[in-house]
Amino acid sequence: MRWWIEKVIEKIFAISGFATTIVILLMVVFLFREGFGLFRSPVVEKGFALCVNASNPVEHIGSSTIKKVFNGVVKDWSEFSSFNEKIVLFRCEDPDKCGDMSKRYSEEELGSDYEHLAEKLGEVIAETPGIFAFVHEEFLPKNIKGVRILEENKIAVDDFFFGLEWIPTSTPAPQFGVLPLILGTLLVSLVAILIATPLGLGVAIYLSELSKDRLRNILKPAIELLAGIPSVVYGFFGLVVLVPMIQRAFNLPVGQTALTGSIVLAIMALPTIITVAEDAMRSTPRPMREASLALGATHWQTIYKVIIPYASSGISAAVVLGIGRAIGETMVALMVTGNAGIIPKTLLTPVRTIPATIAAELGEAPVGGVHYQALFVLGCVLFLITLTISIAAELISKRHHNKGL
Amino acid sequence: MRKLLLVAILTTASILAAQTIKGSDTVLPLSQQQAETYMKVNKSAKVTVTGGGSGVGISALIEGTTDIAQSSRKIKFDEKKKLSDKGSTVVEKIIAYDALAVVVNPKNAVNQLTREQLDDIFTGKITNWKEVGGADLKITPIARETSSGTYEFFKEEVLQKKDYLAGIMSVPATGTIIETIKKTPGAIGYVGLAYLNKNVKALKVSFKDGQFVEPSVKTAKDETYPIVRPLIYYYVQSSEAAVKPFIDYVLSKDGQKIVSDVGFITIH
Amino acid sequence: MLDKNLSQKIAFWTFRFLGLFVIGILLWILGFVVYNGIGVISFEFLFEAPRNGMVEGGIFPAIIGTFCLIVGSMVVAFPLGVMSAIYTNEYVREGKISKAIRTMTNNLGSIPSIIFGLFGMALFVNTMSWGDSIIAGSFTLGLLTLPLVIRTTEESLKMVPDSLRNGSYALGATKLQTIRRVVLPMAFPNIVTGLILSIGRVSGETAPILFTVAAYFLPKLPTSIFDQVMALPYHLYVISTSGTNLEAARPMAYGTALVLITLVLIINFSASLLRKHFGKKIGV
Repeated sequence: MRWWIEKVIEKIFAISGFATTIVILLMVVFLFREGFGLFRSPVVEKGFALCVNASNPVEHIGSSTIKKVFNGVVKDWSEFSSFNEKIVLFRCEDPDKCGDMSKRYSEEELGSDYEHLAEKLGEVIAETPGIFAFVHEEFLPKNIKGVRILEENKIAVDDFFFGLEWIPTSTPAPQFGVLPLILGTLLVSLVAILIATPLGLGVAIYLSELSKDRLRNILKPAIELLAGIPSVVYGFFGLVVLVPMIQRAFNLPVGQTALTGSIVLAIMALPTIITVAEDAMRSTPRPMREASLALGATHWQTIYKVIIPYASSGISAAVVLGIGRAIGETMVALMVTGNAGIIPKTLLTPVRTIPATIAAELGEAPVGGVHYQALFVLGCVLFLITLTISIAAELISKRHHNKGL
Repeated sequence: MRKLLLVAILTTASILAAQTIKGSDTVLPLSQQQAETYMKVNKSAKVTVTGGGSGVGISALIEGTTDIAQSSRKIKFDEKKKLSDKGSTVVEKIIAYDALAVVVNPKNAVNQLTREQLDDIFTGKITNWKEVGGADLKITPIARETSSGTYEFFKEEVLQKKDYLAGIMSVPATGTIIETIKKTPGAIGYVGLAYLNKNVKALKVSFKDGQFVEPSVKTAKDETYPIVRPLIYYYVQSSEAAVKPFIDYVLSKDGQKIVSDVGFITIH
Repeated sequence: MLDKNLSQKIAFWTFRFLGLFVIGILLWILGFVVYNGIGVISFEFLFEAPRNGMVEGGIFPAIIGTFCLIVGSMVVAFPLGVMSAIYTNEYVREGKISKAIRTMTNNLGSIPSIIFGLFGMALFVNTMSWGDSIIAGSFTLGLLTLPLVIRTTEESLKMVPDSLRNGSYALGATKLQTIRRVVLPMAFPNIVTGLILSIGRVSGETAPILFTVAAYFLPKLPTSIFDQVMALPYHLYVISTSGTNLEAARPMAYGTALVLITLVLIINFSASLLRKHFGKKIGV
């Protein structure tokens, strides 16, 4: 009996032992399951279709061309096809606001419940050669002479990863180009680490080599405590203090910039970098220091020729971990970077990061829609980036252990 | 006995009828105030108010995770269809009106703009204030996040459904637009009438015939100001009994007083 | 070539300066919050609901909400985390499996909190149809903090000397008895320390609760685990970015920030005190 209980409990332990593995697997499954449908979705918003006049030879139209046409940037079919006709835009997303149908036809002609709307729409499309109509599928003029419903492309993987515009609400064709978001995320976090690493190292050297023990015993735990301050507080601080400061210092139109985000993220990363680097430096074996000092090296020479090289893999692991943290940080990015989805050219313009995009838009995106799916694919991208970084950090610190032997 | 217990449970359940209102951030301060006073009058009621944007609210209504969706735009045909596919009829109650004011930094010399100029500014064709009669200063247009009804309403009414310029600076909440414009000489943005304060300057706008109108409760009421939209509560017919007392309160004299106190336009 | 003593002097002064600079920054942030927030703290602020468009009144519902989430997430993470750590440390021999588990735990720990938010929304809110609720938020936060619980528990289990385990086996105790009677009681104080640390982590997280539980305004307290709640970090976020009058809401924001920081710092501080205390005891 007791033996059985032991066995059962052991099994329970075993299952919980793999809890984290299970959670990661579940995460992968869910993120990909929710997101993957994106690349099977048509470029045009679900439930709608594009129609042209039958005389129009145009076959497939890319999503960014559709956007340009409906934004009035491209005005003639000849700009992207062999068809020589001015584009006549026609939107019918809602029966009440279906182009100028209510002017052309009387209510009786359209039907009390718009049952003749599709038919009449067909007439309009058939008599307008240059028409480009965006129509709800309820009122789609199917099988009407003179009307051709365009076959739709699917959202392409390379349009997603290399697209330059993130406009998820653009109709008829939402633009999901994540390149600006990926670059924005990397820019903000890399600059943050570039700021935090030298500062953090300096403080770590100060703490481990120069400060008196009593001072160190106060400072180190104090810095560790600061690592626990919630990110939203850092974001609030950034918003209230740093944003106006950066704006004044660089005489900018707005203070919400990549640099502001980097500085706040750097401050957030400091405690971790300091603690890990200091631990690594203090673990330098005493004989190594003493040998160096005995050879006539100064304390400083010992630090940068012996201690830092010895601690280097610990330090680099800390730095890599710091990058991972910064890449995934949401609240600070949301509050202080300005969230503009363009490829950043300088540090002093607003940028939009992946986590901030998810946080700002997920609430809105209808569950299961393309926008929702696109945000989950963004989540997958972020997941893969941080996972890679975490594995890299592990490999680096493993090297450290091997060297230690 | 059992029946009695069931009745007791049902009645307590209906007394504790918790309601959730979710959606538009524009309506948020209004709903929050309404909920606050309503719960003062009606001690047993429990009204939860959450933001997120009009789209959030309506999709929550479709999924059945909220009782009332607060919205600063009309429900889309598609959303209505999703609800009717689920077998529910949506009920629309306009609780107030809001005028959308176009705001700039108080130091900006420009006082008025036409719809076409606004269109060009927010789609990125005009980039300097001197092109519209102001100082030689870069224009920094600011939009709300995409989830907001304000974002879509402005896009529909002013930009005529064209997209905002790519990479427009976007902020998660209207309060932040005011903050940013206050600090940024070249900024331009749009906020609900309720948000106007001395830190920003509201522009006169003209949609036709060169008539420039200033946004105010008065001009919105007499329909001379062009950018006015209804603020709406949506709920499904089947939950009418639960939400009716609260909505009735909002539409009552007391409720409408709160509407004008918060800075919106009453329905009468 | 720079004289080596001079270069040492320059370097060391630079480091001293850097040290002071960084500590200055950190103190500045703390000071900023404390200085602006201290005047706001009052009995009313701590124990009343927000009023008048959230520019007056207090943050009581947010405090209670955060408390609910702490309890909820610990109910999820603590048993699971401790059992997981016991399994890796006591049942599996040091080798590939334990290494793999540890790697997975580390990886989970490095996943950004917003991903947990996405995952929690997809799994708990939508798939399980729990809606935005304490239970959905607690599971999300619980999974987020699981790696921390596992790591700290493992460390505490490692601190129990093997000689004690062997002694117990020698007396004829089974593995489970040894774990229950010998290992756990010895490791318990340190496990609790880990628990407290995880509470500190959970109470400050915003991103995972955005889509799983947080409410903008809910002046009444929750009555079931399927209710939404307000939470301190989310409250700070909304009152510092939205509302009709951000300036009027600033004092509330400072006060909320101060309460949040104080809460987290007290939690972490007591964890480090405990660790010092019990660390010494076990170390002997």
